[in-house]
Amino acid sequence: MKNPFESFHQVGGRKREIPLDKILQSKEETLSKILNGYEHLLKNEAKDLVWLMQYSTVIKAYSIAEKGLEGIEYTAEDIEEFCYALDRSDQIPYLITGPAGVYISALCNYAKEEEITLHLRDLNVKVNLTGYRLPPNKKLIVEGNVGDFTGIGLDGGELIIEGSGKNYTGAGMKRGKIIVRHNLGFNTGHGMTGGEIIVGGRIKGLGKIVGGKIFEREHLVFPNEGVKPFYF
Amino acid sequence: MDIEKTIQKVWPKVRRKHLFPQIPLPKVIEGGEEVALEIKSKQLLISNSFFEKLKDVMEGEEIVEAILDHGITHYMYCPWDFHTHLTLYNEAKKVVRKKDLAQRATTCFMDVVADTYCVKGKDTKIPNLYKNLHKTGIHEVLTSLYEKIWGVNLGSRGHDERINRLSRIPYLERKKWEESIKKFTKVIQDILEEELENEQESPQRRPNPLGEHSLDNYSLEEIDRGLREFASAVEDLQEFKETVEDLKEELEEQGYATGGMGRGRGNPIDANLLYYMKLAESYTLPIRKLPIEKMGDLHPHSHMPWEIGKPFADIDIWTSFGKIIPGITQIWKKREGETFGELEGTPDCLIIIDSSGSMINPRERLSYAVLGAACACNAYLKNESRVAIYNFSDALRGNKIILDFNHEKERIYQAICRYFGGGTALDLEDTQYLLSRADNPDIFIITDMQITNLEKLIEFFNQIQNRVTAVHLGHNVHSTRFKEGTEKRKNISLFNVKEKEDNPKIILGKIKEYLSSTSEWG
Amino acid sequence: MKDGYYQERIRGVYDYISNNLYLNRPDIEVKGEHFNSAIMFGLLTCLNGGKELIIGEPGLGKTTSAEYVGSILYRYPLGVIWGSEVSGHPEQTEEKIIGRPDLGELNQGKEKVVWSNFAQIPVKVVDEINRLPETKQSMILNGVDRGNWEYLNEILINDEYCLFATANYQDRGTNTIIAPLIDRFDFLVESRHPGPNIAFTIGKEARLNHPLRHPQSEKELHQVLRGNKPHEEKMALAEEICDLYGEYMKENLGVEGLNKEERRKVKEEMMGISFDLDANAFVRMVLAELSFCHRYGQKRSVEACEEGCHYTGYLCHHIKNCASNRLPISVRNYSQALAWFLEDDEVDLEHIRLAIPYTLAHRIQWKDSYLSKKEGEGRNDPFQIYLAKEATEEIFQRYNEQREYLLEALAVGNKAFIGEEISPLDGDHPIYEEIKKDIGAKDEKSL
Repeated sequence: MKNPFESFHQVGGRKREIPLDKILQSKEETLSKILNGYEHLLKNEAKDLVWLMQYSTVIKAYSIAEKGLEGIEYTAEDIEEFCYALDRSDQIPYLITGPAGVYISALCNYAKEEEITLHLRDLNVKVNLTGYRLPPNKKLIVEGNVGDFTGIGLDGGELIIEGSGKNYTGAGMKRGKIIVRHNLGFNTGHGMTGGEIIVGGRIKGLGKIVGGKIFEREHLVFPNEGVKPFYF
Repeated sequence: MDIEKTIQKVWPKVRRKHLFPQIPLPKVIEGGEEVALEIKSKQLLISNSFFEKLKDVMEGEEIVEAILDHGITHYMYCPWDFHTHLTLYNEAKKVVRKKDLAQRATTCFMDVVADTYCVKGKDTKIPNLYKNLHKTGIHEVLTSLYEKIWGVNLGSRGHDERINRLSRIPYLERKKWEESIKKFTKVIQDILEEELENEQESPQRRPNPLGEHSLDNYSLEEIDRGLREFASAVEDLQEFKETVEDLKEELEEQGYATGGMGRGRGNPIDANLLYYMKLAESYTLPIRKLPIEKMGDLHPHSHMPWEIGKPFADIDIWTSFGKIIPGITQIWKKREGETFGELEGTPDCLIIIDSSGSMINPRERLSYAVLGAACACNAYLKNESRVAIYNFSDALRGNKIILDFNHEKERIYQAICRYFGGGTALDLEDTQYLLSRADNPDIFIITDMQITNLEKLIEFFNQIQNRVTAVHLGHNVHSTRFKEGTEKRKNISLFNVKEKEDNPKIILGKIKEYLSSTSEWG
Repeated sequence: MKDGYYQERIRGVYDYISNNLYLNRPDIEVKGEHFNSAIMFGLLTCLNGGKELIIGEPGLGKTTSAEYVGSILYRYPLGVIWGSEVSGHPEQTEEKIIGRPDLGELNQGKEKVVWSNFAQIPVKVVDEINRLPETKQSMILNGVDRGNWEYLNEILINDEYCLFATANYQDRGTNTIIAPLIDRFDFLVESRHPGPNIAFTIGKEARLNHPLRHPQSEKELHQVLRGNKPHEEKMALAEEICDLYGEYMKENLGVEGLNKEERRKVKEEMMGISFDLDANAFVRMVLAELSFCHRYGQKRSVEACEEGCHYTGYLCHHIKNCASNRLPISVRNYSQALAWFLEDDEVDLEHIRLAIPYTLAHRIQWKDSYLSKKEGEGRNDPFQIYLAKEATEEIFQRYNEQREYLLEALAVGNKAFIGEEISPLDGDHPIYEEIKKDIGAKDEKSL
């Protein structure tokens, strides 16, 4: 058969590239690696797309997430991109708020930047467990609302939520600071032993708090005369 | 060389580079020193003052080529058409909520897309141009962005975090533009707000050096088409309304009115009406106007060769040269005559629309009832028939509109879009009156059937001979009753719309069917 | 002969017709020049031996534009062109169109065909072709397509011809042109109203004798055409008379047509013009959209698009039928003719984008839903030409965006075709799928 493409034999090599192409390509590659790590986490921890929120499962999920992230170079923008990619995704890997939160926390904790800002206002889902184990010298700012268990086990970092959180915020935190611009739900600070939670709006209810400080609209609500430390 | 000669010289090269855009030779305007380019419809206008000012630092041909590259790429790539422009504006507006800011963000985004497209795909002097333009405020940010994504030194620096974010946007992926402009706008929002605030304090504004993008860029035809496409594409009425309200003044200045295009100012634009008009236009129907009927008598139509056994009576002696020889002799093939039927065109139509409280308010959300009525209205008007409207809620208490048969689309749409939101009762005297105003008109009724005097309506429909298309939204006992009460009548067709979204399609299909048919109704 | 010699003469013909005979506005622009499409494309039809369908309102010069162009360019006096025209009406017969038996011979029991002037001369004009009944339309299919005319076991083959047919807009009272016949037309042009100002001046200088009439030559030509000689001899004799008529035109009207040899040379020059890569790739993209079906392997008028098809945004989704192989031939011939006329070295995208809509307009059968959507849009052209122009620009937009990538995909196609181990490029357009089929990367038989 005659070659129907003969006239194109002289067409030159690949088209001209500009730095934008490389930036976008590297962004895609990074996102794909991050997604792979997350998929790996789901395969191990949420095989049937079910994940039970228990202290032990969180610890285990976090250690798998840490392994999954080994060797990946990424920035805060990549983390944000990952959040939106999961939010939009209608295929595997799905967004399961628990493991996703653990994974995002691990991403933030291992990021190069000391200060990370995530613009998550347009996210449809409120991610749980944001800021889990945030270490010292790290500042995580989330623009938008977050879900349950935000900042649990906070370990010296500073977590700023430019929105509202839900229940169990700061549960089990040891040190560091959580600032929430708007409101929080029930069991705030449950089991926290140190650090501060500063809330600009209202708190629906406090948990059983061991130590640390909680402010609601600039008033110290823990410890104060009505709410004493709880001893487990 | 002066600017005109430079344009003449550069134009053929630029046209070829951009694969021959169908736009006229650019013209020169005196213009200001600050803005290089204006685009009016398809005409590019280059400012002589700008050219003269920049000539000290750049070659004249380079200036013109770069400006033309920029202008043509807007025409050839982004936004390409008014619909894309509106869509981008709409997305930017969702982020910034203010018209001015959204317009600026849209202009900036379209500039980044167009210039990046050019820099990546063509030999262009656009980077040189940016090197020599002023770099303050948002333009400083954009120049820094260009430095990063084009990989050229343009003498701008700073804004690292912002530039990092902006440089991750896939500007050259058309399918992602809606998402991209949102990201883009979020990142530059605070700068735009700051600029706007500063301008309010001191009204001197630094304009976009490569020109603003406004309705001036488009012809009235392009605007009309863009609005139609935009109406079909937006998620709801409110989005359309908001955008059109924002652009209302400019649209009216251009001579665009609700009823269509014209010269000078027409009636003020009603965004609601315009929405239903544009949306209904997407479903325009082809309707056969004059049905052809067979007359019954035969006439000679064409020739065919005679074969032994075929009747001699049909032989055409003139074309057979007086010979009876198979293959040479020809006979007439006869055909039944056709004439236009007695029905003179499409009948007029009375549209009865329910605007009671159980129906959606068409000025708040997309009402499928109104859309259905609008489509029906278009179908009849297009066939030069007249349309009357009976819009009712609690008609017996005066909540009704009676619009006599006429051809005026805008008046008809106003009547269709009126919402009462009260109880549901028809005054049959009104319908009888309207029916008497035309010769055997069709009736198109659209309602959820929760009509207080439904029995009387059924009785009424059972008495008349007019063709009735009844469309009801949702399924309920009333619609079942209506169906049972009218099922013996051949002139009534009832459509049960289970999902409201299907409504326009179903109605249109059926309108087409029944308006095209003649035998059953004749 | 200097470059552009023939082009200059053809421009002379254009100028003469547009200034004296067919007064109308320019309605197309190419390479910065403005032309009237009816005259311009009429000339190109004559030069490349094409088939043109001219539509328009009655009395707006559909037939006359064709007559003038054919008469001057082929140097046949107007009276001969008139005498050779076929007019479309239901009672039209094969004998009037093609030929009839020689009655004298027939009476002696012999069969001999007297060919019609229409079948013999190279300029063929069919007036109101859509008024011909379908059976008559089928009868002229072959002649229209190849210049082969058959009657009573005899055949007449035109070695050179062009054909113009006129039609009113498709409305009630006329037959439609059957699909096979319409596909055989290369080009669809509208003869437009010239506007009130020009219209007012038409006929102002009414003359007793039409400048293109030449009774002496007409008489001689009629005699030759009626004669008993073999067709080739008759044509040679006719050419001699045409030479004389050509001289007359040159001297008295200042306009020069082309003789047979010159026409041959021009055609040769046209065919030698190559397509640049953009023009080449763009035509492939157009053809892909007009013939592709993801679901059924190719577009077929009997098959409907599947719901939710990925290719919903492409033209294949809006049309019913598949592009025929005559389409690329028409595009090629007319764009080469246009490039030749404009003295361009290669056929480029501007020639192609101008020519394609006129080659598509009559061939595409649009789906009703698409027609409904576009019906109300403001326009200057008849609906079918407008739709074809819109379609061409829509595809061009896609081409403009994917140009580099598509060229690369085609280059990869070339490498794969000659046996290099290389993967074809994926892309969001039917053309990429078609490339894969051609290099065997996608098995057409697999379903």
